[in-house]
Amino acid sequence: MSAYRHTPTARKVLRSLVPVICPPEAAALTDAIVDHMQLTFSTTPSVLRTALAAGFATYDLGALPRYFRRAHALSPDKAERYYESWVHGPTPVHKQFAQMLNQMMSLSCYEQPAMMDAIGFHVAPWIEESKKKRLTVFADDIKKQQARLLAPDPLRPARKKEVA
Amino acid sequence: MVAVALHEGTTPTNVFTRHDIHGDTVLDCDAVIVGSGAGGAPMAAELAEAGFDVVVLEEGSYYQTRDFTADTSAMVRQLYRDGGATMALGNPPILFQEGRAVGGSTVINGGMSWRTPDDILARWRKEAGLDVTAQSLEPYFERVERRIHAAPNDESAVGKDNWLLKKGADAKGWHTVGNIRNQVHCVGSNRCPFGCPTGAKQSALVSYIPRALHFGARVYADVRVERLTFHGKRATGVIGRVTNTDGQSHRVVVRAKLVVSACGAIHTPALLTRSGVRSRSGQLGANLGLHPNVKVIAIFDEDVTSWKGVHQAFQVREFVDQGLGCFAAVNVPPSIVAMSLPQRGAQLGALMHRYNNMVVAGLLMEDSTTGHVRTIGGRPQAFYQLAERDIGMMQQGLVLLSELLFAAGAKRIILPFHHAKEILTADDARRFFEQPIPASQWEVVTVHMMGTAKMGTDRLRSVTDPFGFVHDVDRLLVSDASLFPTPCRVNPMETIMTLATRAAGHVIDNSRRYLS
Repeated sequence: MSAYRHTPTARKVLRSLVPVICPPEAAALTDAIVDHMQLTFSTTPSVLRTALAAGFATYDLGALPRYFRRAHALSPDKAERYYESWVHGPTPVHKQFAQMLNQMMSLSCYEQPAMMDAIGFHVAPWIEESKKKRLTVFADDIKKQQARLLAPDPLRPARKKEVA
Repeated sequence: MVAVALHEGTTPTNVFTRHDIHGDTVLDCDAVIVGSGAGGAPMAAELAEAGFDVVVLEEGSYYQTRDFTADTSAMVRQLYRDGGATMALGNPPILFQEGRAVGGSTVINGGMSWRTPDDILARWRKEAGLDVTAQSLEPYFERVERRIHAAPNDESAVGKDNWLLKKGADAKGWHTVGNIRNQVHCVGSNRCPFGCPTGAKQSALVSYIPRALHFGARVYADVRVERLTFHGKRATGVIGRVTNTDGQSHRVVVRAKLVVSACGAIHTPALLTRSGVRSRSGQLGANLGLHPNVKVIAIFDEDVTSWKGVHQAFQVREFVDQGLGCFAAVNVPPSIVAMSLPQRGAQLGALMHRYNNMVVAGLLMEDSTTGHVRTIGGRPQAFYQLAERDIGMMQQGLVLLSELLFAAGAKRIILPFHHAKEILTADDARRFFEQPIPASQWEVVTVHMMGTAKMGTDRLRSVTDPFGFVHDVDRLLVSDASLFPTPCRVNPMETIMTLATRAAGHVIDNSRRYLS
């Protein structure tokens, strides 16, 4: 995987969309959400990244005819209306791009520890608790399985490799 | 205290990664295996124990149980091919996931360990001429189950989401089975798709791979195999590439007496195709089955906290005869739930505050059509068009699943469509699904890709022979779900492992032929 960095346009567009897509309580996490999206995009195929860059540029410039401003510079209510116009956009490509933004930003939003904490998802301590319980309560069975994994048990007991 | 898994904390001496390869490398061995998942790892372990000198090449990296954390998206980036953004093109496009790590997709699957159903084996006998029966495969099934510790879940570890699924099924009088999973005392961290952080799931990473290493196999991680090499019609090895930590790219050439492609139903046909292998059958890359999955999100009044409890403790199998493989409750982390919701802003926030009241439930379908994998610029691209019949079956399945969830006490259900509808009663579901739902509206996913190098006795209708040897090529064996003549209806891991074990036995029995 090669490194991916948001273009300046993409970063500005994404920052402007955080209040549109994420819950209000995520406002303080804007940079973290946008950074997280960068990480996510870094694993996608290069063809998709190229499409993303084109999509962000189009989205940003597409606001000019209607609002005389680029999308990233719109006021919150205009940003909301402009995004909504893409959700119900004139072509499937508009709709898909808006949907992709919603999906990827929602994902990054709820990957933020503060957001997970706020909805009661405390998985890290639960994993530690589970691991500890398993290793103490079931230690004997775990050891037995590990011993079995290394014990000789040839698939063909009577044969060994025969090299001509 | 006992270690969570074998080799935990230290890299075994015969595992090599990008950190260990500093120049072009040439390796000689008896058998080179491309891929380390459900097909490659058992093959490696069986051959190594029989005395073969085995090299396993894996495109993904080598991780240990301690590397599997609560950071969902980091795990997806590390363990999933293309960050999980792989897609079969069609209307609708179908998102599919493949593991890319030592252990392959067994590292990220739910651990369901089911034998191939008898009627599927009967179909394989009839349609592909295979000599496979429950009886003939019994020793291999049994061997695989012992190795991966396929067993019922500990009841104490079953979470509320699964009890609610069972409650709904019981209320409807529907047949439910306890899942058999490859686990040793899974305590329900419910992180199966992101690498088991407790070591309970006996993925190939912690079962077959340590065994293969113990018997002398060498595992090279971070190596992407570019092509196979041949001398005439005989496969002689592979050429791969590794990019080390300094950013330098090095060739890895492996010369082998036997070459095994075990990189899954998407990448095996691509590897063979870009290596110049052609099948007279025209079936290489064709016959792609997917087991399409759709899911709903049910919201209950009570606290469910579905992230506590084993993954898929039960399967509802009442409608198998109608092509609906099973219903199951599948915990999904909040970020992925949020991703699947069309809501945004304050509405998204309000819904996500009910996360601990949610049960995510899905249905797995036995597909009636096939897609194909085409190799474009050396990379595979899957194409799959859902059949009208299957869309109808999904509609029917979602009505039934909704009935079950309302019977369990759900207050509302979010359906798997763009601009998803919410329904409040089972009658709502029936009414909603009276009208056909356009294909483009569906959100369909899968993790079961099968059938793109199907085995059979007739070389004009199949890509490989009944053990997986590619027709008309010497010493090239396929060992993954590509081999399936038809979808297997159940989770495919155990079938793949069983076929790999059976093929390994055939190779060992005929070692004089394959090692000369």
